[in-house]
Amino acid sequence: MLGMGVGIDRRLIYNLDWVLLVTTLVLSLVGVATIYSATQAGQKPDLYLKQLLLVGIGLLGMALAAALDYRRLADRAVLLYVLSLIALVYVERFGPLIAGTRRWIVIAGVQLQPSELVKLAAAVFVAKLFSEVRQESIGLREIALPGAAVGLLALLIAREPDLGTAACLVPLVLVVAFLAGLRMRAVLGLAAALVLSAGLAWPMLKDYQRTRIYTFLDPSLDPRGAGYQKIQSQIAVGSGGFIGRGFLEGSQAQLGYLPARHTDFIFSVLAEEAGFVGVLLALSLYLLLLWRMLETARLARDRLGAFIVAGVSAAFAFQVVYNVGMVAGLVPVKGLPLPLMSYGGSSMVSSLVGIGLVLSVRMRRFAN
Amino acid sequence: MRIYEDLRLVQSRLAILQAVVVLLVAALVVQFWNLQVVRARHFRELAENNRSRLVTLAAPRGALVDRKGQLLVGNRPSFNVVLVPEHALNLDRVVARLASALGMGEAAIRERLARRQPYRPVVVKTDATLADIAVLEARRLELPEVSVEVVPLRSYPLASAAAHALGQVGEISERQLQLPEFKGLPRGALVGQAGIESRYNRELMGQDGYRRVIVNSRGLEVAESARQPPSDGPNLTLSIDASLQAAMEAAFEGRSGSAVALDPETGEILAMTSTPAYDPNRFTTGIEPHEWASLANDPETPLINRVIQGSYAPGSTFKVIAATAALEEGLITPHTSFYCPGQLSVYNTVFRCTPGGHGVVDLRRAIQVSCNVYFYQVGIRLEITRLAKWGKLMGLGGATGVDLPFEASGLMPSPEWKLRVLKTPWYAGETVSVAIGQGQVSATPIQMARVAAFIANGGRLLRPHFVKRPGTPLPAPVARPETIAAVKEGMRAVVAAGTGWRARLQSVEVCGKTGSAQVVASARLERTPRARGLLPHGWFIAFAPAEHPRIALAVLVEHGGSGGEAAAPVARRILSHFFGLERPEPPAAAAQGAATDTED
Repeated sequence: MLGMGVGIDRRLIYNLDWVLLVTTLVLSLVGVATIYSATQAGQKPDLYLKQLLLVGIGLLGMALAAALDYRRLADRAVLLYVLSLIALVYVERFGPLIAGTRRWIVIAGVQLQPSELVKLAAAVFVAKLFSEVRQESIGLREIALPGAAVGLLALLIAREPDLGTAACLVPLVLVVAFLAGLRMRAVLGLAAALVLSAGLAWPMLKDYQRTRIYTFLDPSLDPRGAGYQKIQSQIAVGSGGFIGRGFLEGSQAQLGYLPARHTDFIFSVLAEEAGFVGVLLALSLYLLLLWRMLETARLARDRLGAFIVAGVSAAFAFQVVYNVGMVAGLVPVKGLPLPLMSYGGSSMVSSLVGIGLVLSVRMRRFAN
Repeated sequence: MRIYEDLRLVQSRLAILQAVVVLLVAALVVQFWNLQVVRARHFRELAENNRSRLVTLAAPRGALVDRKGQLLVGNRPSFNVVLVPEHALNLDRVVARLASALGMGEAAIRERLARRQPYRPVVVKTDATLADIAVLEARRLELPEVSVEVVPLRSYPLASAAAHALGQVGEISERQLQLPEFKGLPRGALVGQAGIESRYNRELMGQDGYRRVIVNSRGLEVAESARQPPSDGPNLTLSIDASLQAAMEAAFEGRSGSAVALDPETGEILAMTSTPAYDPNRFTTGIEPHEWASLANDPETPLINRVIQGSYAPGSTFKVIAATAALEEGLITPHTSFYCPGQLSVYNTVFRCTPGGHGVVDLRRAIQVSCNVYFYQVGIRLEITRLAKWGKLMGLGGATGVDLPFEASGLMPSPEWKLRVLKTPWYAGETVSVAIGQGQVSATPIQMARVAAFIANGGRLLRPHFVKRPGTPLPAPVARPETIAAVKEGMRAVVAAGTGWRARLQSVEVCGKTGSAQVVASARLERTPRARGLLPHGWFIAFAPAEHPRIALAVLVEHGGSGGEAAAPVARRILSHFFGLERPEPPAAAAQGAATDTED
């Protein structure tokens, strides 16, 4: 749709990251299988077929993104940013109200969640801004502009409300700024400020105050529901044991005790039915994926490529770690899908296109 | 775009990010190790509790049947509304919804929930109506943690008939839970709370079974994982004759009192009535507090089993004991006579008899007309020690051992007892009163029925019972046959032409003895003759036929006046039913000139 720089030659194919591609495919298929298990007892047992279709669509998007020259894409970074703003404002004004939130645009009966694609646009935009800062080291002043620009996107997304997706933009900006040479003192200062404000304040709060903070941050969240979800998820994970209860055999998942089991809590189903062994395998695949992505950033031929990959990776890593941490009861429950595994079209397509961008950078590491 | 950029800083910082990612994933792995390996057993248990529910399959209590196999106490299916509080997302909301659906107070539900055990279903409402069930079914999805169980509920088809003997069941109390005899029973278990239900509770209970079912998050049962069928409690055959029981209750015609009929040869209880009675069906589902209060505070004490818990002065029925004692101790013979001038002055006191007196009376006539003076003389000769000895030998002052709980033992006074309890010595004049069943002596109707049986069976003191205890030998007679024969002659005359003539049957010879238990001094009664509550209790003890007796009984009509007027007609109705004389002719009062109502 952006109509430029699409072209593939033999050399590009030669540099395709097969490990990343195969890992992505395996995780997506594990996701489809887990969705199959999670939905058998419910009213939509055929949802896994739809997810399979979405994987196909996502792979097309990935191929497109990989074929695209990321430098040509970055030339349109401002346009992407403006389009993102328009989409988000449109959603806020005209998006249908679904379950108390306005997150979607409906085109010909298909629900699109712009915030998922905005993450990618933000990654390209931030990478472009920082790649043009040509200084040995940068301070807080230099990240003020990109921070404010992305902060505006995050604010719009948070107001949908979709706090989880909005939160993804924070590590995205910070990681790219860090790579762009943010002074260690500033890094440490930011990190310390974050850790201090959260780490010190949190334990001093009473339970009901924390609950109020959850509900303040995300009013759509039923606080009682959140507590229930956390408990049920931990029970599912823990009862899975070392080798799991077997495919389609998890009582928490199959009897419906686990909430949002084919979407945000898909990993609970995996943990219950495949056990610690399955968890270890799945987390290894995610680690391999992230490792290869960051490796791609290291191998990138220019700062722009490295930053795009790093931005995409940061959002991806944040989502994986937060979602799995939520399933394990380590962090508060937030509506945040697990990339590549959770059911959902926009998330799946966005994840695959993002990986497509990473592939694009790696393929062009030797090209001019 | 330049070809060569300095990427060293980017690359070194990327290495840091890679390390961070590895650390984060490692932290996740540690947490999953903790949940899935270290604490797996704990969470497996929680998952099990989540999905499985224990449904009690209540074992029906054994039925109680009468000696002919007629059902006295059975079971009917009923619905219990149960709730597992742990499965409720929001207990307050569930309680509020249940209260409105069942028309109950929230406080009542909370009170039941407060006594719960972890993961055990709490019975919110027992014996729910079909309307309740329909409402709950309609709101199934709103109340997934609520379910309905079918449980057998105790039913008493005869309603208040034999209520005191049969007793009733009720939810086990906190105090009972601590007792060894109820060991192992859960809260909410139905146990016998009175009568035979209580005495034979263990035998009747059977063993509850259970079903462990798997339910989904909406509370719908999806499978059954285990089942232990209940084993029903065995049926118990009682010695009660339901038809005689009904006749006995009808015989009272609504008056307060009690009666008990025994088989004089075995001690089997054929019928037992205490009126007014209550309907034990009211208790099976947990009686309403106001209903309980009205029963418990009723001045007519419907909850008391008068047969075993009512202690009354035996009055002239005690003369049977005094006569037996005097004969056995060799102080009189059947031919010993005394002159009765209508009163006896002894120990500086005037003891009264019938105005005008009975003239010269022998033992038979003394019993027949219930001559006090004769038994004053007997008492003076016996003295209290020997009188008390025979009172005890014939079952007074001690529980009969009937298979019912909470039996009263009455009192057979003695000098030792008086010194111990009242701290005063015995006066000889008291013996004179005791000899005619007044003063400190008191007895329960079942004790007096046993006295009747004692004479009927030739001097054996039997244990009255509803359920035969195997291997108990018949006790040996404690009185000589001549003694028994002489007393029996007197009792025969009582009904044939004495104070008990109203109990006479045309074709069956009845032996009996009347008695009146004074409530207030005679002098006061003469001032307010018809004041109910001041009238004496009327006694009648009897057995029949005179030869080879098949039934012995005691009847007490509270405030009925003299035993001959009040109790003998009741006994007659019971006896005529027993002997199949359904519509007996009333006995002719003036058939014999000697017939008299005089007593005491």
